[in-house]
Amino acid sequence: MNGAIWWAAAATAVGTFLIRMLPLYVMQRCMSRVSDIERERQLPEWPGVLAPLMIAALLGLSLPPHPSSALGWSSMVVGSLATLCLWYKTRTLGLPVAAGVAAYTLMLFIGS
Amino acid sequence: MNVKAWRMGACEALPLLSGYLPVALSFGLIAGQAGFSPLEATALSLFIYAGASQFLFVGMIAGGAPLWLTVVMTLLINARHLVYSITLAPWISQNRRWPWLMHGLTDQVFALANYRLPLLSEHDRISWFSSTAIVAWAGWGGGTLMGSLAGEQLIQRWPLLANAMTFALPALFWVLLAPRFTSIRWFIALLASVLSALMLSLHDMTNIAIPLAAALGALCFYLLPASTARTRS
Repeated sequence: MNGAIWWAAAATAVGTFLIRMLPLYVMQRCMSRVSDIERERQLPEWPGVLAPLMIAALLGLSLPPHPSSALGWSSMVVGSLATLCLWYKTRTLGLPVAAGVAAYTLMLFIGS
Repeated sequence: MNVKAWRMGACEALPLLSGYLPVALSFGLIAGQAGFSPLEATALSLFIYAGASQFLFVGMIAGGAPLWLTVVMTLLINARHLVYSITLAPWISQNRRWPWLMHGLTDQVFALANYRLPLLSEHDRISWFSSTAIVAWAGWGGGTLMGSLAGEQLIQRWPLLANAMTFALPALFWVLLAPRFTSIRWFIALLASVLSALMLSLHDMTNIAIPLAAALGALCFYLLPASTARTRS
């Protein structure tokens, strides 16, 4: 990797960090100047709506199996159902994920 | 430092790690094929730390694209992260360490933090977030190094395992999203986002899928009448 590529990588790294950090820094500065009640009033409503929708988009993006095949898609459906069923029963985070991965793997194993 | 919150954060980051490893292995492998040494590929993962855009960065450089264009395109893909820290701001204190911790705010860490931070006390939040972000970051960097050094052999030896591990991320997103299906309005908006992102992904438009699908979901949410916003009992 030559010097110019290192500079490009550094610019990308700094730029990405600023994209993640600056909005919070600016908000922290604004919020530090107002009272708690005023703070509640100043917080916009839209991030609360957008956040779950972005997670939904992440879910949609991560669903297609690689490589895409009938077995991959059916494993995805079974894995998703297992995850949701266990979440409904337990309302926890770790166990449903483990069950989903186990069901998905089992389907792949049986089908392969 | 709150040890309990640290441990909780590290445990909850494990599904992320499981999802990150196969992708990080692939990145290490591809970066190696594009002429980056294992050390260079790992440095890219640790400092840029932005999943899909790293693939674009390496691909554009290997393809001989102008460096300025490579930087601009990579940052454009990462621009969606602008919304993440604003969304988490209500649960973030004035502690000066928080802005530095935002280096670890990836899509997946954001999804997890958006679920967990409101449930924690203010005192526990920074410890929880620090450990979650560090475990995920180390996993991504370590996975890249492994991929650069022995990615091909690992994927060839355990193809089923590498494939199965990728399901940890969708499973985690299902669990994070399930409590949000509280009304018809939310149901339709979330489903619109999931399905549109899925369709965009199938048409190789992954880079714009997240902002576009979220915007479509938001449109559904705001267009639906308030009568559909009743919460389930």
